[in-house]
Amino acid sequence: MKLALKGLSLPLREFALEADVILERRSTAIFGPSGAGKTSLLDVIAGLRRPASAWIEFNGRLLADTARGVDLPPRLRRIGYVSQDLALFPHLSVRNNLLYGSRGGGAGGDVFSYDHVTRVLEIGPLAERAVTELSGGEQQRVALARALLASPQLLLLDEPLASLDSALKTRIIPYLARVRDEFGTPMLYVTHDRAEARALCEEVLEMWRGKIVKQIGMKEWTE
Amino acid sequence: MSSEEWRIVWFTAWVSVLSVACILPAGLPLAWILARRDWPGKSVVETIVTLPLVLPPVATGLILLRLLGNRGAIGRFFNDTLHLQLVFTWRAVLAALTVMSFPLFVRSARSAFEDVNPRFEQIARTLGANEWRVFFTISAPLALRGIVGGMLLAFARALGEFGATVMVAGTIRGQTTISLAIFQAVDLGHDPTAYRLLGVSVALAFGAVWTSEWLLRRREASR
Amino acid sequence: MRTRIAILLGSLFLLCATAALPAAEVAVFAAASLTDCLTEIGKDYQKSGGAEVSFNFGASSLLARQIEEGAPADIFFSADEAKMNDLERRGLIETNTRVSRLGNSLVIVVPGDGGATIAKAADLANPQIKRVALADPGAVPAGVYAKAWLQRIGLWAAVEPKVIPALNVRAALAAVESGNVDAGIVFKTDAAVSRKVKVACAPPPGQTPDISYPMAMLKSAGDPDKARKFLAYLNSGAAGRVFEKFGFALRAPRR
Repeated sequence: MKLALKGLSLPLREFALEADVILERRSTAIFGPSGAGKTSLLDVIAGLRRPASAWIEFNGRLLADTARGVDLPPRLRRIGYVSQDLALFPHLSVRNNLLYGSRGGGAGGDVFSYDHVTRVLEIGPLAERAVTELSGGEQQRVALARALLASPQLLLLDEPLASLDSALKTRIIPYLARVRDEFGTPMLYVTHDRAEARALCEEVLEMWRGKIVKQIGMKEWTE
Repeated sequence: MSSEEWRIVWFTAWVSVLSVACILPAGLPLAWILARRDWPGKSVVETIVTLPLVLPPVATGLILLRLLGNRGAIGRFFNDTLHLQLVFTWRAVLAALTVMSFPLFVRSARSAFEDVNPRFEQIARTLGANEWRVFFTISAPLALRGIVGGMLLAFARALGEFGATVMVAGTIRGQTTISLAIFQAVDLGHDPTAYRLLGVSVALAFGAVWTSEWLLRRREASR
Repeated sequence: MRTRIAILLGSLFLLCATAALPAAEVAVFAAASLTDCLTEIGKDYQKSGGAEVSFNFGASSLLARQIEEGAPADIFFSADEAKMNDLERRGLIETNTRVSRLGNSLVIVVPGDGGATIAKAADLANPQIKRVALADPGAVPAGVYAKAWLQRIGLWAAVEPKVIPALNVRAALAAVESGNVDAGIVFKTDAAVSRKVKVACAPPPGQTPDISYPMAMLKSAGDPDKARKFLAYLNSGAAGRVFEKFGFALRAPRR
């Protein structure tokens, strides 16, 4: 995995988001207080927001180069996104939510198959339910599964456990670990919870008012 | 009610339905673009779209008469190339109804699209959907109540259209709308006819507007 | 703040109230075909020291209807006797002021820049003539005369499906001018004021019904004295010359 961000700049309300960083670990935590620009950074990487300037390359593929007018649309970036509010489509059943991005085979093969993903995240029996009938934890896992079923090459998670109570958090973290281990998909994990970051990630990017102030391995960070 | 009067009601109803059908292909995408995108000159587009709502209907009718007349920019093409006359035919009635009801629909639909959380559309994009798929599977279904409400409003407006219609189509037997027929009946002193048509007009408009309001209330409740 | 709003509203009200005062002294409701000649006569009248006259031109049927509903008219100048009869029956006119001295005739007109040729009335039945503009033959005098004429020469059945009814005779003229219809039947005097139509043919004298323009003062006239004076002017030689200039026929005044 290699995600390179060069000269990334996006004006936000009170400051500018800036990033110049290379990420090569399998799971990286993006850590910082709320309002630091973490979600905006994910949005730019996913192609959901256009930066004022940026050069973004992932595993050798150019995703964006504002200087030359290159801006790959989100659907071509193969980057999965689990947003903070989950954004499960309310008018579709759980199954249709899950299958929305599914390419039916193709890159990723069996690992991203419907059966495998629903088994790993234990949501098989929920398939015909309406999204509004699910509990918080179930919704969380469905959102995760939906992103995985699109066979992403990179997974962005924006505070996936923020709205859950600590008991539920402890129950979901193993699923995230499973995702990290069984699917091998690299992930960027935004959080302001140290325990989560420690449990799941190998590296930490610390953000403060739009800037990356520290890039450090998990071992050193927790010392 | 005589058979002639029923013919007038029937003609008015079907040409009003047809006008809503004509509004949709242009109105839906326009409403979505106005809701989601920004560009220099956007306010000019907004103003032009709103004009038929604000101009005196006869003024709009005069503009249409100029354009659709046999010597007008559009009418000339239809008359010379397609051998189809526009003014003083049902096509002119259709054109007048479509133009006059267009802004009402666009305002309603735009508001409905603005109420759809953009996150849903963004997630759909990361799941690989192109803009058409996002529109038809996410934006439109979630905005459906407001869109249908807008269609009903446009239908009600079309039912009652007079000023523009009288300019481009007049009162020709077989293609007279209810409002034109009422005007003609009063002009000729046929008051009972006028009052019967008035009754039908009120009933139709009441039904359409009431349904539209009911749908709007249900949309509020489901949020 | 509230006093300022009160002053603003108060002055707006005063403004509206003063604006509502009638501007002219004699209000004449007249047939659309009289638009040009009456406008000139009105100006002449004022220049010669008469009162200020305002005109409301339109289809005589619509005007009669408006008068029946209480519209503030002093004089009614109709394009056919029938509409004046209606008002007289309802007791709305001063019958001793009713006089008819104008006549007119019908013509068939076509758009000035080409189109189908019409040499005689029967050509209206030709298939290339698809649309014929008439003032609404249900009520507007010009249309009523035209229909009666076409019925008389047996053409109404063939022409009726092609009829585009217009609000008044000037609207019918405008439809021919714009090229949106193939032909129209209007008064000779209307065709004369338009440069965008050609007279295709005219009926021989006697073939059309008698066209007569009665005028009368209304009982509801605001200032009967001034109204009578203008009516007298309308019957004078000076006005008569203007009517003739525009192509109307002058005849011995009848009641």
